[in-house]
Amino acid sequence: MVNLKIENVACYYDSAKILEDVCFSVETGTFLGILGPNGSGKTTLLKSISRVLKPRKGTIVLDNSDIYSMKNTDVAKSMAVVPQDSNITFSFKSFDIVLMGRTPHLARLASEGAKDIAIAKQAMEYTGTIHLANRLITELSGGERQRVIIARALTQQPKILLLDEPTSHLDISNQLEIMDLLKQLCVEKKLLIVGVFHDFNLAARYCDSIIMLKDGKIVAAGKASETLTCENIRNVFGINVIVNKHPVTDLPFVIPVSKPKDQRQRSLSVHLISGAGTGSTLMKILTDSGYNVTAGVLNVLDTDFSTAQYLKIPVVSEAPFSPVTEKAQKANLEMIRKASIVVLASVPFGSGNLQNLEAAKEALKAGIATYVLDEVPIEIRDFTGGKAKTLFSELKKLGAVFVNGQEALLHLLNVSEQKAKEGCGKQGAVEQLKEKDDSTENDITNKVENA
Amino acid sequence: MQTGSSKPPQITRSSKWRRHFGLLILLFIGCVFLSLNFGFSQIPFQDITQILLKNIPGIGNYIQLTDFQANKEAIITLVRLPRILTGALVGAALAASGTVFQGMFRNPMADPFVVGASQGAALGAALAIVLGIGSSALGANALPVAAFIGCIISVLVVYAISRVGSKVPMTTLLLSGIAVGLFELAIITYLQSIAGDKLGDLTFWIIGSLSSSRITWSGMFSILPFVLLGVAVTFLYSRDLNIIALGEDQAQHLGVNTERVKFILLMSGALMTAAAVSISGLIGFIGLMIPHMTRLLVGPDHRVLLPASILMGASFLVLCDGLARIISMPSEVPVGVITVLSGVTFFLFLLRKKKRVDVF
Repeated sequence: MVNLKIENVACYYDSAKILEDVCFSVETGTFLGILGPNGSGKTTLLKSISRVLKPRKGTIVLDNSDIYSMKNTDVAKSMAVVPQDSNITFSFKSFDIVLMGRTPHLARLASEGAKDIAIAKQAMEYTGTIHLANRLITELSGGERQRVIIARALTQQPKILLLDEPTSHLDISNQLEIMDLLKQLCVEKKLLIVGVFHDFNLAARYCDSIIMLKDGKIVAAGKASETLTCENIRNVFGINVIVNKHPVTDLPFVIPVSKPKDQRQRSLSVHLISGAGTGSTLMKILTDSGYNVTAGVLNVLDTDFSTAQYLKIPVVSEAPFSPVTEKAQKANLEMIRKASIVVLASVPFGSGNLQNLEAAKEALKAGIATYVLDEVPIEIRDFTGGKAKTLFSELKKLGAVFVNGQEALLHLLNVSEQKAKEGCGKQGAVEQLKEKDDSTENDITNKVENA
Repeated sequence: MQTGSSKPPQITRSSKWRRHFGLLILLFIGCVFLSLNFGFSQIPFQDITQILLKNIPGIGNYIQLTDFQANKEAIITLVRLPRILTGALVGAALAASGTVFQGMFRNPMADPFVVGASQGAALGAALAIVLGIGSSALGANALPVAAFIGCIISVLVVYAISRVGSKVPMTTLLLSGIAVGLFELAIITYLQSIAGDKLGDLTFWIIGSLSSSRITWSGMFSILPFVLLGVAVTFLYSRDLNIIALGEDQAQHLGVNTERVKFILLMSGALMTAAAVSISGLIGFIGLMIPHMTRLLVGPDHRVLLPASILMGASFLVLCDGLARIISMPSEVPVGVITVLSGVTFFLFLLRKKKRVDVF
């Protein structure tokens, strides 16, 4: 058993504070991931634990003794470090590099004995690098070299393994292999693993617990499912993400979405009719652009429903895998009436959601501008034996605007937003929207002027 | 990758020392004999052997020298042998300190010049020659003592300047070494400009040679302890040097007290340089190229590289000095010129032959 306690650690580079009041405690058999944006103090934290940078305040306690009062060799016997990338200039054989892991165990004049060589060989076999033993370290690929360095770390026979972005220079298959190896070490050899990682999903998949750092402070700590939330990630990294459950592992699965370009609050509210994931991106983009978005009718468990939940979009929902009932339809129409614009995503239609097309029709009848995203021809996504197609042509007759992509749609929304802002009110905006061609031109000139 | 772990027949280490050491020792003995033979008066190898055996206590009583041999005995024992052994010590010391500095700085171009050791020694010597500093107290010994002190002071100054907090980062050490070295060179240049009739002495010392009147048995014994101490300390820390050569952070993680080891290695390198330079002047090339060439031969493990470099450096300087004596008889060529010319040629040949970018 080993216990590592970080108590109120604060680190500075000259006068710049890098870490502040960092406290946590971890034990044998834990795989701890440290996440945070560049400059948040992750590496500094690792450096202070590995005795490279002494904290100005606080202590780092390894099994009841302060590591800064321990002997170098004693620390190296219980703690090994795998750097981000070990750029080795001298052409040592891999085996010699691994054997250097015995250094803390050897007296100054002693040379490596049979026991040390056996330990080094064992470590190379365990990490699958024994076939590289006679190769020069300078001739290995990044992934191979990193494995050899892990073998060296194991040769130290440590209880703790510290890793600073160990996979950041590696391709995806090497990343997974290294992470699998680390997990194996954690489980089989009961090592305490503390690593700095960049990839949320890699961290979620392998780490037992996660610490999130921002500006040198711990913002969140706990299991992956507790820490990797939309709010935490937005707070720490300043990006928007969608967090789903991984379909296979049931762990959080993070999908980053690019930063919103503008955070203006818009006056228009948009009601989105979608389903089966056809509206998820749009929900995200529209909320990011500042529109008030509503959605419906969506079945619970539908991808779009989950997205709406994550984005906190008001939604009219229906029981899972059930056709739209009258009650839901009524609620949906009510919501539509409050909207300034209805957008219909390229959703496939079956008997269960045909009602949604009816709702769009109602919207048009009520004089609400309706945009139909027509990215996929209706013939392909009509599973109602032609009913949907018929409704589609009715929508067209009623004046629905068909757009062939998200870009065009956003553009049109932008135009109507501007019109609405020019004081025309809701009704006016809708009327002017119908003069589509004209307003598009206006908008382009507006854009040019803005630029 | 993990599946490819078919066991190699045998794991071999980076450095194959057994094979090389026998050869290197033979090389050294060969160079000594050759150099004993070289000179204004040619002495056959058989006579050299007889004279040497005669001078070994115990065996000497059984050896009868011919008249010719007896005539040459003084040349061998009082002139050539001390000179050759001094050359061997100087070559060994320069090669060892070069090895230490290259390993420490992880830089193939590191040598006693980069930490200001050589320039400091040169400045000390220049002050002694041109301004006669210390000559009243020390007489003829003023020059080597001044060079020695100049070297040590210069390295200490460089070390103190590059100190950041409790650490001495390699980059600042390297940069301040170069800066201090240039500063010292500027002063030396000024001293040259005012040297007057002493300019010849100073220039000769800066080029480096083993022909001065200081090269005697007592001269050799005066530097021997310093060289031995430096070599012993570097041997003691050669495994740490291996690890520091990987990078300081990694060394720290492997339990090496990097700051202490760096200071000790720096000082022992400076000590060896000071000892060598104080007696022979600035003999170039050896500290830079010998470790390099030896690394190509025996690999990067300093536990093997250091002794091998020492033997190589000693052999090389002894041979070059022999050549310096006979190339343009009866006058002598400064050995510094020969070391640089021959060494660079050989090194370029090696580089072309190996055609490897990673000279390390």
